[in-house]
Amino acid sequence: MKAAFKISLFALLLIGMNECYQRTAYPMYVAAHADQLLQVEKVKNCDIVYTSASSNFSPDEWNESKKKMSQFMAEAYPDMLVEAFNIPASHAGTHLQLLRRIPAESQVQTVVCAVNLRSMGADWINSELETALNQQAVMYADRPPLLNRLLVSLNAYDHKSVEERHLLRDEAWNNTPLPDYAPEANVSAWCAAPKWGDWRDPKRQLADQFIKQYAFVVDENNPRVQDFDQIAILAQRRGWNLVFSILPENVQLADTLVGKLLTRMMRENANWLEQRYKAMGVLVVNQLEALPSGHFVDKDFPTEHYDEAGRKHIAMNNAMALRKFHPTKYRNPTWSTNMNFSHSP
Amino acid sequence: MVFNSLTFLLFFPSVALVYFVLPHRWRWVLLLLASYAFYGAWKVEYLGLIMMSTLVDYSVSRFLDQSQDELKRKLALGASIVTNLGLLFFFKYANWFVDDVLVATSLVPEGWAYQWHQHWQVLLPVGISFYTFQTLSYTIDVYFRKVKSESNLLKFGLYVSFFPQLVAGPIERFSRLHHQLFERHPWDWQRVRAGLQIMLFGFFIKMCVADNLAPIVDQVFAAPEQASSEQLFWGMFSFGLQIYSDFHGYSLIAIGTARVLGIRLIDNFNSPYFSTSIKDFWSRWHISLSTWFRDYVYIPLGGNQHRVWKWSLNILIVFAVSGLWHGANWTFVIWGCLHGLAYLVESFTGFRHMRFIGSKWLQWLMTMSVVFIAWVFFRAPTASVAANYLQRMSDGVDGSLSIDWDPMIISFVGLFLLSDVVMRHGRFNEWCDQRHFLVRWSAYAFLIYAIAGFAGTVNHPFIYFQF
Repeated sequence: MKAAFKISLFALLLIGMNECYQRTAYPMYVAAHADQLLQVEKVKNCDIVYTSASSNFSPDEWNESKKKMSQFMAEAYPDMLVEAFNIPASHAGTHLQLLRRIPAESQVQTVVCAVNLRSMGADWINSELETALNQQAVMYADRPPLLNRLLVSLNAYDHKSVEERHLLRDEAWNNTPLPDYAPEANVSAWCAAPKWGDWRDPKRQLADQFIKQYAFVVDENNPRVQDFDQIAILAQRRGWNLVFSILPENVQLADTLVGKLLTRMMRENANWLEQRYKAMGVLVVNQLEALPSGHFVDKDFPTEHYDEAGRKHIAMNNAMALRKFHPTKYRNPTWSTNMNFSHSP
Repeated sequence: MVFNSLTFLLFFPSVALVYFVLPHRWRWVLLLLASYAFYGAWKVEYLGLIMMSTLVDYSVSRFLDQSQDELKRKLALGASIVTNLGLLFFFKYANWFVDDVLVATSLVPEGWAYQWHQHWQVLLPVGISFYTFQTLSYTIDVYFRKVKSESNLLKFGLYVSFFPQLVAGPIERFSRLHHQLFERHPWDWQRVRAGLQIMLFGFFIKMCVADNLAPIVDQVFAAPEQASSEQLFWGMFSFGLQIYSDFHGYSLIAIGTARVLGIRLIDNFNSPYFSTSIKDFWSRWHISLSTWFRDYVYIPLGGNQHRVWKWSLNILIVFAVSGLWHGANWTFVIWGCLHGLAYLVESFTGFRHMRFIGSKWLQWLMTMSVVFIAWVFFRAPTASVAANYLQRMSDGVDGSLSIDWDPMIISFVGLFLLSDVVMRHGRFNEWCDQRHFLVRWSAYAFLIYAIAGFAGTVNHPFIYFQF
């Protein structure tokens, strides 16, 4: 009897603590450490959700417009509400967690996911920023907030150290086989090939990075592919229209610096993704080669940061693809990009 | 596996449950398996190392027990010491020795050091310093016939690897711990409750005090050249509190965990920041290590049975070696030597015997000044960084760092310091026993709420794991 009383008292205490935490410290913690969770509140009342990493932003300071890609896209659908989850260095795994938090009774009709080819490579999979992202993701889970907060303190997430992640990344570069047509057996060997010249040459360093970022073969065991698979299943269950927008990569520069073998690998990976998700009923907008080199903002590392015209172009491609689901809502925006759109529904 | 992890919070209740369900004769086997699982959770390869250490010391101790030939016994003891310290040296000090001794003194070229690092990517196995010292003390005790050797290899294996104290102590002597591991410990709610209370308090000071101070300390020590003198002072003060709460918290969780299973571990701390001399400090700080150094280094060196200069040298050697035990860096040696010098100054000036109004306060203030200044060397990456840190701290300069002093952290620190006054050895269980039900449960509620809602979020393993 005494034990039952104590157990009940303990359970009551825990419930009371969770309530107290939820009303007091939790909102402050979320605002400081997991602010994308606040975005769920906005997103649940919108029509179209756009998910991406920093490719959605406008990092180039010299462009007049600081608008995000999702905002340009929204201008083609003025009668629809478009909101975005965009977290720097995030990937499909992070986006999946946030999409799961959208309540079943939300108004969301369509989800557009930016598919970043680079996020499927060993460098990004084992990025040192993963630990921070994983920590935030604990708070995204649909559990009592006090329990989520405790799990963060208990490091109940993949919290490998930077050294451990680098070790895994290096192992992948050393041991993961490349396709038969690749000049070397693995990424490390390819990078170390003498024909690249002096290490101190910036061009050689950039070529090295291109190989490291794009020389891999994507397959169903890739963790990001598994995340996209889950997003496809979630969308099906929730009745959302789903668009995977394969982002442009700097294929032109990859060709110049490394050559056709690398660009072939990039194309094959993008095509594999396109075929896989088309077969799963997803509308895929393959924009791998949609932008020439000049639209990529970062010159010393391969990224998906685009200038204003580049962002507009990608947004327009997505907007035109969305006409399949919302044909009557589309309006021509007031701006143009002077580029040919690669996708039409 | 670390204590402040979900894995441990699932692992320990499962082990405890099976432990109390199993018949007595099988319990030690469970503890051995659990200990290896606990250790192997870090890296399975580490198990090979601890097993090797166990096997060597088991064989040597059996020989020492049975042999009457003093020369052979000495050789066997030497072999054990060389093996244990050799492993410790290779894994802990080899890289440092190559870089900071061989290359620094030009005994080998830099290219050789590069080749060494390429060939031997040595990672420090967790807890190696602790279990090496524990097994060393056992072999030496067997050599001096203070204890009988254990005839069962697996039972000896449990003494070496008992999981609550395996990776960061307390370093237990064979005569204290071994017999407890095989005694009957029936279910006793009072004892289990006491263990859980100690664990709860340990989790609080590790997760709410140490882990919340860690980012502040990291920030100041990462860029001391950007901090103001005031910030450097608080950074030094915070590190002193961080390392105490971190290690004391760990020790309490270890003690509480063992207590639940019926085993009493040695108290490792006794309010060290209330010490009024360095001698007093070392009788209150990391007690299991300081007594180990006293018994196995200081006394064999001759203790105080020598002339003043030899005794002084012994003191300095003990403190320097104790510093080096903490890590492969000159900063730890300097830290140890600073304590050693302060110890000698105290002894020669009669500092400990000062008696006048306010003398205790003066002794406390001066002791803490030495202890906290020495912590700067302990925490800084190099001796020159530490020296610049202290120089800047005394210069009264402004800085550009922005440090977020959350009132919640300050109140946790205040509570921790208060608890050090109220509870000897951090015995939260004894404090609870004297309180009314409502007060006790309010304390539980507060600690659980603080841990769940306000513990530090930066992934900081226990500081002493690296030693």
